[in-house]
Amino acid sequence: MSAPAAAAGGAAGAGRYRQWLGLAALVVVIVLVPFVLQGFWLRIATGVLMWMGLAVSWNIIGGYTGYVSFGHGAFFGVGAYTVAILMSRFGVSFPLALVIGGVLGTLASAVVGPPTLRLQGAYFAIATWALAKAFEQMANVLGITGGPYGTSLPPLINDHFFYAVMAVLTVFTAVATFVLAERSRFGLQIKAIRENEASAAALGIHTTRVKIMAFAVSAFFPALFGGAYAYWVTFINPQSVLGDPITDQMIIMALLGGLGTFWGPFLGGALLYILKEVLWIYWSNGTAYLAIMGFVICLIVVFRPDGLISFFQRSNARQPGPQGGEG
Amino acid sequence: MDLFLQTVINGILLGGIYIVLAAGFSLVFGVLDIIDFAVGEWVMLGAFAAYFGQQYLHVDAFVFLPVVFVAFFALGYAIQPIIFRVVSTKTHLPMLMGLVFTFGLSTLMKGSALTAWGYNPRSLDTFLSDTSLALSIPGLRLFAFVFAVAATLLFIGFLYRTRTGLAIRAAAQDRDKAALMGVRVKDLASVVYGLYAGMTGMAGVLIGAIFSLSPQMGAKYTTFAFFVVVLGGLGYVPGVFVAAILLGLINTMTTVYFNASYSFLMVFLLLFLVLIIQPKGILGRGT
Amino acid sequence: MNNNATLITSLKTVVGRRPARLAVGLALGLSMLFAFSTAALAARNYYKIGVVTSLSGDYALGGNLTKRGYSTWARAVNAKGGIKVDGKRYKVKLVYADAQSNPKSGADAASRMIQSQEVDFIFGPYSSAVTLGVAPIAEKYQVPMVTGSAESPEIWKHHFNFTFGTIPSVDMTAQAPIKYLTEQSPKPGSIAVIGINDPFSKAAATGFDEAAKKTGLKVDSFDVVPTHSDFSALLSKIKDENPDILAVGGEPQDLIDVLKASASINFSPKAIVMHYGITDAGFRKEVGSTFGNYTIGITDWSPDANLKDDLFGTAKQYAQAFEKHYNLTPDYTTAACSATGEAFTAALQKIGAKPPLSRGQRVKLMKALEGIDIHTFYGPVNFAKSGAHFHDNSELKPMVVQVVDGDKYIISPAKYKQHDVVYPRPPFSKLLNKQ
Repeated sequence: MSAPAAAAGGAAGAGRYRQWLGLAALVVVIVLVPFVLQGFWLRIATGVLMWMGLAVSWNIIGGYTGYVSFGHGAFFGVGAYTVAILMSRFGVSFPLALVIGGVLGTLASAVVGPPTLRLQGAYFAIATWALAKAFEQMANVLGITGGPYGTSLPPLINDHFFYAVMAVLTVFTAVATFVLAERSRFGLQIKAIRENEASAAALGIHTTRVKIMAFAVSAFFPALFGGAYAYWVTFINPQSVLGDPITDQMIIMALLGGLGTFWGPFLGGALLYILKEVLWIYWSNGTAYLAIMGFVICLIVVFRPDGLISFFQRSNARQPGPQGGEG
Repeated sequence: MDLFLQTVINGILLGGIYIVLAAGFSLVFGVLDIIDFAVGEWVMLGAFAAYFGQQYLHVDAFVFLPVVFVAFFALGYAIQPIIFRVVSTKTHLPMLMGLVFTFGLSTLMKGSALTAWGYNPRSLDTFLSDTSLALSIPGLRLFAFVFAVAATLLFIGFLYRTRTGLAIRAAAQDRDKAALMGVRVKDLASVVYGLYAGMTGMAGVLIGAIFSLSPQMGAKYTTFAFFVVVLGGLGYVPGVFVAAILLGLINTMTTVYFNASYSFLMVFLLLFLVLIIQPKGILGRGT
Repeated sequence: MNNNATLITSLKTVVGRRPARLAVGLALGLSMLFAFSTAALAARNYYKIGVVTSLSGDYALGGNLTKRGYSTWARAVNAKGGIKVDGKRYKVKLVYADAQSNPKSGADAASRMIQSQEVDFIFGPYSSAVTLGVAPIAEKYQVPMVTGSAESPEIWKHHFNFTFGTIPSVDMTAQAPIKYLTEQSPKPGSIAVIGINDPFSKAAATGFDEAAKKTGLKVDSFDVVPTHSDFSALLSKIKDENPDILAVGGEPQDLIDVLKASASINFSPKAIVMHYGITDAGFRKEVGSTFGNYTIGITDWSPDANLKDDLFGTAKQYAQAFEKHYNLTPDYTTAACSATGEAFTAALQKIGAKPPLSRGQRVKLMKALEGIDIHTFYGPVNFAKSGAHFHDNSELKPMVVQVVDGDKYIISPAKYKQHDVVYPRPPFSKLLNKQ
């Protein structure tokens, strides 16, 4: 069990104080942005925040714990629909609806978690993927969700308000993730599970319980983001909040940034989202940007699989994983 | 009763198409540990290859099948080393790396296809398009079914009755042990991926002939491939037969006897249930 | 310069190299965004029109139809020197953004056009989903938007003040072919309806269903299926009931699948009605002489209709100019989009507003749009001022069309009729052996 301890010790010794400063710097930047950007660009910044938060959340289960969930978008969708339905049909206020959305998303993960987390590697990935697709189909056929027609929320168009909401959520996610994954025993436990689950169990870690907790935590934040997103866009349908692209992007951002690292998902989330938006703005007339994005993804996976954060790291503190990976 | 029989036959015929789609995919997972996200795009490319073959060379789609196989085999064989490199690196979760790479590949293929061919759905006709036999069995689908089964049986025969096939199966079981035994895993991997691309390309031709084609058609087949392969047992190619037929039957039975809008929902729920109850597939022979 | 070096070095020692680089990177990125965001706010002597439509994703097909329609209008208007307001002519310039077939991107696009690019008004998106994402933004910033293609009735139920549509919604138009068929002989007695589970197609299918009930047809089945389904099982079930009419609401790809599946099981009802598809030249090219032959559909416009206006001439002239430019035949969506420009022109002339439009002028423009009643090459444009189809062009009545050997003909109403209806439809076995 020395590897994770060494990693944590290394981080503690050299950067314990630095990491908190880094977080503080992030908060400062986030607070300053709305004074610098206006209108449409503030929307972009809001999107950057949301995706950073989503990538960071996914990283908890996918990167830190080593269980690759291909269905995390489902929790985003649950949050989105909860807020949409509560606000439009029952007149619930946004803050309350948002909290309920977060709770429901976490509940959903607590229900599907136990049976699904018994699976390893590829099987877990496919199971979560199948579940998310099932959720999407359900949203399409149920009446309360409005089916394919989607649901509209009481419109509120206010760039600053939504920036603030996403900022609060992202900072909350960042701090919570940092504390849980990098500064607590829970963090050590999930990293141990990722390194070698059998050994972790042998050492007395209640792997099932820890995994379920990690899954639930990783589902809570996306549900909140989903709820905020629904109110922001004022109209949602199954395709836009429960489709594959949400999960796919979460994963790619975490991966490109650096799986299982704290700052990686921030970097991956911001970069990929900005790249996507820039390509959209300046190249919107074609479908070539899809091809370019695909190509870029392939390049990074082939040449820099540790993620872009590895450009900033002197050495990779993590040890190589069990041979052949999962599954 | 007639409708029931019709529904069952429809289900089986539908499943047949999925067999050839999933056979290669299953093997690729077994040997290379990759879940190829781009499988739907290979189908799409195969369908378009046949479409353009018909448009410019005036060759019927079914005559074009072997051409597609050879061309796609070559393409897959050529691409494979990149994929192999991605899944062999000493980083964490090479399976995930493979997944993301193939996802990037799929986005690249789809984006390129959309840019090159536009968004209009096309229709591919063959000399069999209008035939219909007793009990309204579509001649085209029957042929596709027969072809798919034959191709897959050949494929399985290759796997189980030749030395190369033996080596491949050994590598699928345990790559490192096989290498220790002298199996040239890298070369084999190229053959496997080439076979997979060839088979999936042919599936694309069949699918294009039966349904319509568009550059965005891939996602649906990726979904089906996942389903069939997991149900049949990842890495266990013969399991694909049972699972594919089952998929076809679920589709048709739900549509006719339950509610058509739930057909996909049933598929995904069933997939999820199978995974949590018996992840090695319904025959229990997955890796 | 030396000071900067020491600053960065001290930053590095305090917070560490890694976060320091990140912070610098973020600062750089932000300042770039800031540089982009301060847009020039100049006076201009042309109208700037934002076009939000889906150039990629699931709705790319329809989105591109709208793009061509809007561009065609812009070219025509500029060829004449521009829109004439108060004796002077002002040209138009279109700025495009891709809504990527999802409401959020549509909203982002609209936000950018309104806040950064300061457009005067907006040409709206294809599909109700994207329109519903864009409408609240148009509403908030009071920018009038007219869409030439969003046929789902959902939009109008929201009663957005600043959103209008030149296409009558599908629940109104679906009645036409059903009603027409019940007047033919042998009189049909039953109908089976299929709808794809997307907003437009489902609304079309619901429209067929309601029209059937109103005209006394027996509805054998009404099925809503997910997109990309396999239709063989469903059609076998339907064939069992032997309906006289098969009515399908779907996008072209699903429609082709339905036709091929019907042919393969030899299901040949007396008439096949499809809301969309046959008005699309690509669809007709692919299956118009084979599987899709003799399919009946709806169109809100046809080049052969006896309509004209001062900008485009006759409908036929519009089509000819279009074909010369794009090498494609325009369909009703494209025409409806070209007509949106004419709606704006009429409204602008009414209030005498010159570019750039102030917020107050945009509000007046919206009110003016509500009051217009014009006749264009596309037909009448007159937005409803109340009711379930608020701000939809409910005055325009659809025509019933049929594909015969790859060409589209109007079969109803009588004043536009070009061809006698082929009813009952020859069975597939005869159709395909003709080749």
